[in-house]
Amino acid sequence: MDAAVRAGERVAILGPSGSGKSTLLNLVSGIDLPDEGTVRIGGTDLTALSEHERTLFRRHHVGFVFQFYNLLPTLTVLENLLLPVELKGAVEPRDEARARELLERVGLADRSDAFPDRLSGGEQQRVAVARALVHEPTLVLADEPTGNLDEDTGQRVADLLDELVRAHGRTLVVVTHSRELAARMDRVLRMSHGRLEEVGA
Amino acid sequence: MSLLRRAGSRHLRRHPTQLFLAVLGVALGVAVVVSVDLAIQSSREGFRVSAETVAGRATHTVVGAAGTLDERVYTRLKVDADLRDAAPVVEGLASSPALPGMALRVLGVDPFSEGPFRPYLAGGGTSVDVARLITTRGGAVLARATAERAGVVPGDSLPVQVEGRRRRLPVVGLLEPEDALAREGMRDLLVMDIASAQELLGMAGVLTRIDLRLPGDTAAAAGALRDVLPPGARLVPAGTRTAALSGMIAAFDLNLTALSLLALVFGMFLIYNTMTFSVVQRRELLGGLRALGVTRREVLAGVLREAAGVGLAGSAAGLVAGVLMGRGLVRMVTRTINDLYFAVSVDRLALPPEVLLKGALLGVGATLLAALPPALEAAGAPPRMARTRSVIEDRARRAVPRAAALGSLLLLAGGVTLAVPSRSLLLSFAGLFLAILGMALLTPLGTVVLVRVARPWLARAEGILGTMAARGVVTALSRTAPAVAALVVAVSVTVGLGVMIQSFRGTLGRWLTGTLVADVYVSAPSVVQSRAEGTLDPASVRAMVSHPAVAERSTYRGREIVDSAGAIRLIAIDLAPRGEAAFDFREGDRAAAVHAFRVGEGVLVSEPLAYRRGLSVGDTLRLPTDGGPRAYPVAGVFYDYGSDQGVVMMSRSAYGASFDDGGVTSLGLFLRPGVDPSEVARELEARAPPGQTLSVRSNAELRRGSLEVFDRTFRVTAVLRLLAFVVAFAGVLSALVALELERARELGVLRANGLTPRQVWRLVTTQTGLMGLVAGILSIPMGLVLAAVMIYVVNKRSFGWTLHMDVGPDVLLQAVGLALVGALLAGLYPSWRMARTSPASALREE
Repeated sequence: MDAAVRAGERVAILGPSGSGKSTLLNLVSGIDLPDEGTVRIGGTDLTALSEHERTLFRRHHVGFVFQFYNLLPTLTVLENLLLPVELKGAVEPRDEARARELLERVGLADRSDAFPDRLSGGEQQRVAVARALVHEPTLVLADEPTGNLDEDTGQRVADLLDELVRAHGRTLVVVTHSRELAARMDRVLRMSHGRLEEVGA
Repeated sequence: MSLLRRAGSRHLRRHPTQLFLAVLGVALGVAVVVSVDLAIQSSREGFRVSAETVAGRATHTVVGAAGTLDERVYTRLKVDADLRDAAPVVEGLASSPALPGMALRVLGVDPFSEGPFRPYLAGGGTSVDVARLITTRGGAVLARATAERAGVVPGDSLPVQVEGRRRRLPVVGLLEPEDALAREGMRDLLVMDIASAQELLGMAGVLTRIDLRLPGDTAAAAGALRDVLPPGARLVPAGTRTAALSGMIAAFDLNLTALSLLALVFGMFLIYNTMTFSVVQRRELLGGLRALGVTRREVLAGVLREAAGVGLAGSAAGLVAGVLMGRGLVRMVTRTINDLYFAVSVDRLALPPEVLLKGALLGVGATLLAALPPALEAAGAPPRMARTRSVIEDRARRAVPRAAALGSLLLLAGGVTLAVPSRSLLLSFAGLFLAILGMALLTPLGTVVLVRVARPWLARAEGILGTMAARGVVTALSRTAPAVAALVVAVSVTVGLGVMIQSFRGTLGRWLTGTLVADVYVSAPSVVQSRAEGTLDPASVRAMVSHPAVAERSTYRGREIVDSAGAIRLIAIDLAPRGEAAFDFREGDRAAAVHAFRVGEGVLVSEPLAYRRGLSVGDTLRLPTDGGPRAYPVAGVFYDYGSDQGVVMMSRSAYGASFDDGGVTSLGLFLRPGVDPSEVARELEARAPPGQTLSVRSNAELRRGSLEVFDRTFRVTAVLRLLAFVVAFAGVLSALVALELERARELGVLRANGLTPRQVWRLVTTQTGLMGLVAGILSIPMGLVLAAVMIYVVNKRSFGWTLHMDVGPDVLLQAVGLALVGALLAGLYPSWRMARTSPASALREE
């Protein structure tokens, strides 16, 4: 397979279960390595990096939104947001301000001190979206970000993701079953039998 | 604190039961190690301080061959050798009804010679009134604290008993040392003028030793004094005897220490369980963190940091508990040392900082070591979106054959280590620990096999629930295997120690029956329980042997001989014909050995002595005698379980030829047929001269008394065994709690599908019961192997005894019962909790 995503572009990957969408996301993020071929982000060839270097690359350049949110249950909402910032380096007052601003944007400013288990699924995913952007990554990867939410909540989260990625000018690759979510993207690719085809903008 | 750290510490705090059990595991492990260490150190310290107080500033001492020295030697040293700094000393043990449980050290000195040695006795600056001490017959000085405890003041008299003779000693002064160390050393001291002490101790005309202050080394000094000293007297550096006595308890100490380390090993199982569970619980989260860019090193550091926190908290609690437990343990250890080795009284628990530091380091180190596998597992976790439980279990199942192979290798390595022809106890314990570890690694395979065997039976008895219970053990092997292994090790150690103690007791019992051939034994009451000390006065001996029921008699003379290789007990025997049956020879022709012994052509040595000094029949044993060193041919090696120091027996005639000593320590009386030994014993007791108490015991009473001492000796072992089991039990509890709580969702689904709380309870208890049964069955062969190693290797190398392994069915049934009950008990809490949880909340919790 061969595909390229331009900086600032938003791409959806559709495909049936087991078609390899998540594996593709793992390859793009450097979590997995391809048996052959290369994965290049910006000027960096991920396949040439060691595991440790790929981890550090992810830390600095990739934001993740998972289907099951994966918030740290032992950190508050604000702390969850500050975690990627802290991983990049020390947290400055302006980082905290940015985190609070993002929380404001996702409508959870008043829940900053709550622990994730006090939030609904939709709220948790909104936190996850904010977390994916707070450390200003080049690339945001989302794996079924609305897959675990009801239609209305999914819609809201999709709006947010779309809006925030646009506002921050990030590149977004989203794996989804949702045609609605896919329709919002600049480009849609379909995975099938290990092949990637362009479906159309 | 960084957010990752904060997340980790909050995770621990959110699982208080797990955290508590892990901290408890470390705490108990550390507490046992520290308490044993403190008890040993305190007993050694107590002995050292009191020995040093008595020894004072002497550089050398002159001692006799068998513990006494003619007092004329002192005069010759003073006059002929013109030695200024010399002080005669008479030492002995006494007890006082006013000071129950305390052995008093009688120190007889010449106050005028004491200045350079024990200034506190020379009169200057203390309340010791030298003039009164010398002029008051039987006058004694003792520490103020001891006098207060006894309720006496100067002017009163202190009741004492020496070798059964009762006296009242006028208290003529008090010792009031300023520093704590000296106070400790003088606590058990009863200082008298030398003449009074000789009279009190029945040592007229003899000294225990002569203290000297000599410039230069021993060889030069010995050369200078060669002409002055009689043949039997030897010049030795001060402290030689103390070191030899102290060396007697080295093997005893090491065995206790090894046992205490076992508790720590069990604690490690507990930590391993907790940390594994804590990692498994967070497997998705860790995968997510890795995806977010948390490196392997950071995950590893995070888990190890949490473990270090647990280790620190556990060690701190363990140190406190160890000091508290040490106070109880020091009494038991001191009691054993008093029973078996020498008199020591310890009031104070020594708290050497190095022991506490060692305990803390061991605690934290063991925790980190135990947490390393789960930490590596966590760090190795690929940064997946979600890691399924089945991946971990698959890996665990695949590891079973590898673990078994590694276990077999370790077992083999342990076997080879144990088979190395060495006398090193450390090597033995290393081999033993390797074997234990090897067997622990074999348990997962054993578990899988046994569960497979049990499954059809359970299915028949419990239906689908039985099948589920059995499958649950194998499908959650990453959780169940460590729990079963911990239980197997704990129970097998219990079995091993149980069989060892049973075998030891059985061997001792049979040996006592064979050895105690006389009907009645008479001796002076002794401070060290396991052997007769002191001298029976001739009037008592006459009174005993002249009883009309006495047909034959053996007389015994026991002396402690200290040479450069350690302490030996020398027993001179005037053997009655019926007494010959007492010897059970390990080596040497019986008739020839007894003949050589009788005619004075050879000595008989005990098995531990032969082992320790590498002696066989035909070799010679060099002993210091009053006539100078002499070599004695070894005519036979006999079994002896009365002393691990080693005993040499010679005929009274041979003893008389080399030692200037006509005393008798004890009597073995053979009665005429048809008389009742207990009745005769009571009559003999009544025949004791006025003011003299004698210990007169029938052989049945003596046998019973000896076994009581044995049981008391092993009480420490029993306590440690129990503690080790408690730690292991906590480990099993934590593993089962974790396992069952982890299955909350599965059980929630079952409950939602109509399983009643009662059925949940049955499912959980069937599963934990099955694990207990498996552990019980596996621990039998392992326990027997451990017992064999302890009996044939560790015991042999520690004490030199040949023990016969006695395995009763009760011990084996106990093993299965213990494991089963332990596991069922450990399953109670999770099953109670699971049965109470509403299915809805169980389903939600995931």
